[in-house]
Amino acid sequence: MVQTVIMPKLGQTVEESTLVKWRKCAGEVVAKGEILFEIETDKAVLEIESFFEGTLLKIIVAEGETVPVMAPVAFIGSPGEPIPEVKPAPALRSALAKEGLPAIAPGATAGPSSPLCPSGFAGQAAARSPTVAKPSAAIVPAAPVLRSALAKEDPSSLLRPSGFAGQAVVCRPSSVPISPRARRLLRESAISAERITGTGPGGRIIEKDVQAYLEAQRYAELKITPAALALARENGIDILTVPRAAAQERITVEMIHQAIAEKPKPLSKMRQVIAQRLTASFTSTPHFYVTVAVDMTDLLAWRGKLKKEERPSVTAFILKAVALALKEWPALNSSTDGRTARWHSRVHLGLAVALKEGLVVPVIRDAEDLPLAELNARADNLAAKAREGKLTPAEMTGSTFTVTNMGMLDVDHFTGIINPGESAILAVASTRPTPVARAGMIEIRSMMNMTLSADHRLVDGACAAGFVNRVKSILQDLELWKSMI
Amino acid sequence: MEKYDLIVIGAGPGGYPAAIRAAQLGAAVAIVEREALGGTCLNFGCIPTKTLIAGAALFRQMRSAPALGVSVEKAAFDYTAMLEHKRQVVEQLRGGVAQLLKAHGVTVFEGTASFMARKRLTIQRGGKESTALEASRIIIASGSTASLPAFLPKAAAIVESRAFLDLPRLPARLIVLGGGVIGCELACLAAQLGVQVTIVEILEDILAMLDADLRAEARRAMETQLKIRILTGKPLEQIKAGAQGVKGRVGDEPVEAELLLAAVGRQPVTQTLALDKTELRPNEKGYIDVGPTGQTKVAGLYAVGDVTGGPQLAHAATAQGLIAAEHAIKASLPRRSQVVPSCFFTVPEIAAVGLSEQEARRQNRAVKVGKFNFSALGRAVASGETKGFVKWIVDAATYQLLGASAIGAHATELIATAGTAIQAELTAAEFAQTIQAHPTLAEAWMEAAHAVHGKCIHAPPRRAPPGK
Repeated sequence: MVQTVIMPKLGQTVEESTLVKWRKCAGEVVAKGEILFEIETDKAVLEIESFFEGTLLKIIVAEGETVPVMAPVAFIGSPGEPIPEVKPAPALRSALAKEGLPAIAPGATAGPSSPLCPSGFAGQAAARSPTVAKPSAAIVPAAPVLRSALAKEDPSSLLRPSGFAGQAVVCRPSSVPISPRARRLLRESAISAERITGTGPGGRIIEKDVQAYLEAQRYAELKITPAALALARENGIDILTVPRAAAQERITVEMIHQAIAEKPKPLSKMRQVIAQRLTASFTSTPHFYVTVAVDMTDLLAWRGKLKKEERPSVTAFILKAVALALKEWPALNSSTDGRTARWHSRVHLGLAVALKEGLVVPVIRDAEDLPLAELNARADNLAAKAREGKLTPAEMTGSTFTVTNMGMLDVDHFTGIINPGESAILAVASTRPTPVARAGMIEIRSMMNMTLSADHRLVDGACAAGFVNRVKSILQDLELWKSMI
Repeated sequence: MEKYDLIVIGAGPGGYPAAIRAAQLGAAVAIVEREALGGTCLNFGCIPTKTLIAGAALFRQMRSAPALGVSVEKAAFDYTAMLEHKRQVVEQLRGGVAQLLKAHGVTVFEGTASFMARKRLTIQRGGKESTALEASRIIIASGSTASLPAFLPKAAAIVESRAFLDLPRLPARLIVLGGGVIGCELACLAAQLGVQVTIVEILEDILAMLDADLRAEARRAMETQLKIRILTGKPLEQIKAGAQGVKGRVGDEPVEAELLLAAVGRQPVTQTLALDKTELRPNEKGYIDVGPTGQTKVAGLYAVGDVTGGPQLAHAATAQGLIAAEHAIKASLPRRSQVVPSCFFTVPEIAAVGLSEQEARRQNRAVKVGKFNFSALGRAVASGETKGFVKWIVDAATYQLLGASAIGAHATELIATAGTAIQAELTAAEFAQTIQAHPTLAEAWMEAAHAVHGKCIHAPPRRAPPGK
């Protein structure tokens, strides 16, 4: 009996995975427990064992393709057995390109909440406004977490086609049928079939079509060095698309190497998530910005005098001030889909942490209840875990307001993009000695600009101004801070 | 103050072609030479050594001619006459350079150029008269010199390569310190004329830039045919020089000779330029850093040839000089070929171009090799020149010809074909389809290209054919 191998679901938030490498070829015999292929989720590459034994009859998902979890990737059975037909449903990416909408994986509305969204809100949001909350793997469990999931669960349960209904979405380029002779000519000429119209039955591209195309493109007039042609064939470079300064310029190995280097490569999963979510937020949320300058002189001087072990980071002061101010300005601790508003009763602060390859936003839950020292310790701990790639999905979901601090990066001013599912983000710039007017005199003070980006659907100017000025006044209230330590 | 569009400092193989090219492009060009037109290559390097080697090789061939059925009774050479021939050759070629420069309207200044400012030079001649020149573009092509390293005692019996070529007679015994190209060429020259030669090289092998198979072939020939003693992996120590000659030790072995030739590298010439009058500074090794067009970091100043480091080959300097001239006059950006052949006029001759096997290994690049021995070629057997081989180094995936080397008779001429094929980006299959005339040594390249695919006609198969 033919068995269907599926893309395993490794972790609650993983919606799609990229098949990076097949370890077996079609036609090879596979034993139970043998490594069949490798997949890449947002951060880890994992080896997937076969749950079946038999012959690998057909590979459906090629290396480099990204498919939703549970989608079939191959069939295993006895040689000669009929293979069920898999109809490739519209691919994730091509749907995105055509309709200009974020792609929704099957089961989107019922899916787990998106890590950057408030917990439990994504599903509802998605139901009404798919552009806001596309459930995706977003910021996912780091490698160790996935491995432990793999270890704990019976591998069979991972690979068993549970819930597979035979209509999975497969992300692959639409393939026009091409005759073997045409295919050979294409390969020999290092030409892609993309722009060729087939005249064979059912639009099949036949040798004549390729010949006609080559003639129309005046392929015979191209000057290609033999090694350049070999290299283009080897790397799937369409020789007609290699940029040349002049039509009669000889196509050299150097030019093919350049074309290989410039071939579009898929973004990392993390960057794709960032791209999707921030584009959705920035294009669907009417942002506006309010900047204030905070006088940090007294706070910093006092902080400097604290013993090292009880000295909170500047970020901790800002987080605390934000948490306190949010209780007074609840509109900033809310979210909207444009029709309904959701007022969060708790303050869960997201803290943007820069990583080598991107950005994650770990969440400090119930920040309003945390004493300054505890807030400081949690922020430090989460940032460290983020940098080590050890955040769990729970630690990355459910924030209601986000702080992004670029104070250490020597910037005067910047604006943040609101995390989907929130109504504002506070962008904190560097503190600098600045001449300011105080009591009719010019003084040099340590000034820090911070800019609030707010969702104008929920927040108006006066409200935003009131909130940032409240954060500012808290930061400048030295007596308050003294009482906290 | 005389004004020019371009001034070239140094009339060696980097400088004089640059001056001529700039003049061809319509510029007013001056060239300054402190010693002799043609530079080291023409006067004290490539040309004089090849002149002497031509005589030495003929002498050796005459003595081995009985194998071909020809005997030369009492073959002899007159070193004084060989030196005179060398002098005439050099003079003739030097005169040719002077005529070319004149014909192209390049003004030649004799003297030592030094900067007064970025665009100004002063030319000193004999310490008294001086001329001031000005140009918005200046190409530094001041070259390099062989100097004696400091650890060697100062003595008449210790010379560098330039002085060696002017010796009135050859010593009975010679120590060559340094087993690089210059050391090996001059060692082979002397050994062919009957000098007992010892080469001392501190590295593990002589000619370290070559692949191991070429090194082994060269070393075997030099040791057996020319009876050169080659000591490697240890330094020459306890060096004592006196009126009778030079003594020293290499490890436990004593070495002694009437003369020691030091061939341990060349130093760039920058001291006389007074670069401190400009913003230009040599790098920590004393070379002037340049980009692909020969531009230095200082606007208007270019450098080409040995003074920029790199391969220290006349033809590389010429290629660099032409590009710098085109850029200086027309701001054009010609592509600089990376395919630079090296030719060693040793016994046997060795030549290489492009990527070597050991360089491919260092780059972790997958390559395939196709090799063919001269002993299987009709022409080589006919002329009794059966030692050596040629080989291609090709890309493992695309079979692009990336490098080639040849060792054996006429290797320095044979490499030209390989260089052309590499520059044209041919693949091994494409080259193998190129018909080579029979019977010639050039057939070896075609056979070696077949060998890449294991399809050699004139060599046994590498593996047993299927079914056996």
